Amino acid sequence: MSLSIRHLSFSYNDRELLNNFSLEVASGQTMAIVGPSGSGKSTLLRLTAGLLVASHGEILINGINVSATPTHLRSVGLVFQDNQLFTHLNVFNNVAFGLKMAHQSRSAIAARCEELLNLVGLTEFSQQSVSTLSGGQAKRVALARALAPKPQVLLLDEPLTGLDDELHDRLATDLRQILQTSKTTALLVTHDLAEARTIADAITHIQ
Amino acid sequence: MSTLWTRLASAPALVVVAVSTAIPLMAISVQHIASVDIFAVWQRPGVTDALFFSLWQGMLSTVLTLAFGLFPTWVLARYRFAGRSILVALVTVPFVLPTIAVGAAFLAVLPTSLHRTTWAILLAHIFFNISVVVRTVGPLWRSVDQGLIESAQTLGASPAQVYRHLLLPIARPAIISAGSLIFVMCFTSYGIIRILGGPGLATLDIEIYRRAVQLGDISGATVLGITQTLCIACAFAWWSRSQGAQFSKIGDRNSARALNRSSRIIVFLTAAAFTAPLGALIFSSLHTRDSWSLTGWKVLFGLQDIRGLSIDLPSSLATSLVYALAATAIAVPVGMAATAFARRHWIHTAVVLPLSTSPVVLGLAILITYDRAPFDFRSSRLLIPLVHAAIALPFVMRATIAMGNVIPPDLRHAAETLGASPWRRWLNIDLPLLRPALATGVAFSLAMSLGEFGATSFLTRRNSSTLPISIANLFSRAGDIPRSTGMAAATLLIFITGLLVVSVDRRSYS
Repeated sequence: MSLSIRHLSFSYNDRELLNNFSLEVASGQTMAIVGPSGSGKSTLLRLTAGLLVASHGEILINGINVSATPTHLRSVGLVFQDNQLFTHLNVFNNVAFGLKMAHQSRSAIAARCEELLNLVGLTEFSQQSVSTLSGGQAKRVALARALAPKPQVLLLDEPLTGLDDELHDRLATDLRQILQTSKTTALLVTHDLAEARTIADAITHIQ
Repeated sequence: MSTLWTRLASAPALVVVAVSTAIPLMAISVQHIASVDIFAVWQRPGVTDALFFSLWQGMLSTVLTLAFGLFPTWVLARYRFAGRSILVALVTVPFVLPTIAVGAAFLAVLPTSLHRTTWAILLAHIFFNISVVVRTVGPLWRSVDQGLIESAQTLGASPAQVYRHLLLPIARPAIISAGSLIFVMCFTSYGIIRILGGPGLATLDIEIYRRAVQLGDISGATVLGITQTLCIACAFAWWSRSQGAQFSKIGDRNSARALNRSSRIIVFLTAAAFTAPLGALIFSSLHTRDSWSLTGWKVLFGLQDIRGLSIDLPSSLATSLVYALAATAIAVPVGMAATAFARRHWIHTAVVLPLSTSPVVLGLAILITYDRAPFDFRSSRLLIPLVHAAIALPFVMRATIAMGNVIPPDLRHAAETLGASPWRRWLNIDLPLLRPALATGVAFSLAMSLGEFGATSFLTRRNSSTLPISIANLFSRAGDIPRSTGMAAATLLIFITGLLVVSVDRRSYS
């Protein structure tokens, strides 16, 4: 599933946060956007997810213009910087959330969750409360949850921020492997060039 | 803090609760239950009907209030728009308005075909209790991170699915808490049903009043009163089990989101639903038959005499104001002293006792208990203010505790290390900082006393009726003038109590 962003602009309170930005991500490719704070990286992800509406330009997924499609119908997964796990649900039900929204059968949900939890190495934590997880485990749950409904495009917003060095490096390698295994088209934003090099197939700079 | 100080400071609060609630309730339980055939009482006509009506209308009112209340709660918690603080006031103030006046407002706004019907009662209960949903669930929803909602959206959740799978489960404890409280309020509904109810639409409270006052069946009324108290105790136990939910005021802090189309519709419908009864009440107070008239207002203030009316409204108004001032003079210092010095949890629990029984049962128990020398207090002018003070006491203490918790303990410690005695420390440190709580306590005590109807309807004496009692009398009379006078009196009561509560709410916002 390819992602095309064409001439995208966005302003908020008369301040231009993104100006005529274009980008192509090939199917199955992981593209990293690297730039300093305030350069509009996160805004770009929120526009792609449909959480913000662009003032100009269009977003195409697999050639179809989704600029006016509501977030929940866009099939775009987003891993938030601070995970945003549902604390009233356990690990399994967090991963299952998107599958339930798509009204999948119980057996299909169980199978997919098992597959994803296995992929991120958290099978034994499936019934645990998310509030008891470590930073690295929570990040893995967030990733599994976003991948579970098989989104056409996966967006990652500074996914490794706030982790200690050792965990950061290990997760970066794991993330690369998980994205390659799942063959998901992904757009990663980060301010860390080394992180981008480890995870992504290609890098674009944004100022 | 010395033990003597603690005991002395909490003693007046315990005396008020003991005299007005604990002793009368214990006395009727001991005196009547042993000597009464309880099963025979339940077989008397109208008794089981009243219990079933109380139960099913209470449950239906609760479900409908939650169903309709969650929409404005969401919009008030998550959106910022012009006039939001006015809408917050409109939605939250009805809970402290006199029930008798709310009943009058619905009599004014509803078509005659709906008068004396279950629909009228259900609608008035929704109007009265939505405040509980807004104040209980609102703070929880306001604290939900927008990122969680966006997260659910990116996982394919539609707005309805976000509501069902995310927002409702998060708010579940608060919804249960609000629901339990609403059920108690509707189960014990009295003032609204006295005005809007009709044949076959009597709650237990109405049946208790009918048996005690109209039929002279004191033992029957007592059995029903105790049943009622047990039901309330069960609901309160359920309420206290719903952990985490606080009955708190909805504030102004929320995400700066602009209204979308659906939330705009909710704002419009809510504003219309809450202004219509009040607008209709004012209109009806100024209108008789087909013409505008100030007769109702003139009669209310004694500027016009109506032959045969035999209700002295200026005197009722004066009585209500005197009782309200006396109740406030008791409740505020007694409540503040108890919270300032007595840190014992059981004292705080004991003063909630008057709230855990219906005012009607309270009035009945006092009437029966204090009826013989040397404890014949029924003709005492102090009895009604004392009962009103007991009902207001938990609200005064709650405001003081909430504000007191904000005062840093080291501030008190600093004063003590500088040689301040407990009394001087309270006077010079706590009291100035507790001034907003004092204002809230005064406003709530005045408002609760002015609107109190259940207990007062048993304790009031001829020629010393309060305004709510006179309003009920006016609506029991036929004719345009009693009706428009009743509407005028209800408007005045709503205006005074609304103004009192909004003024302290605005103070606490700032």
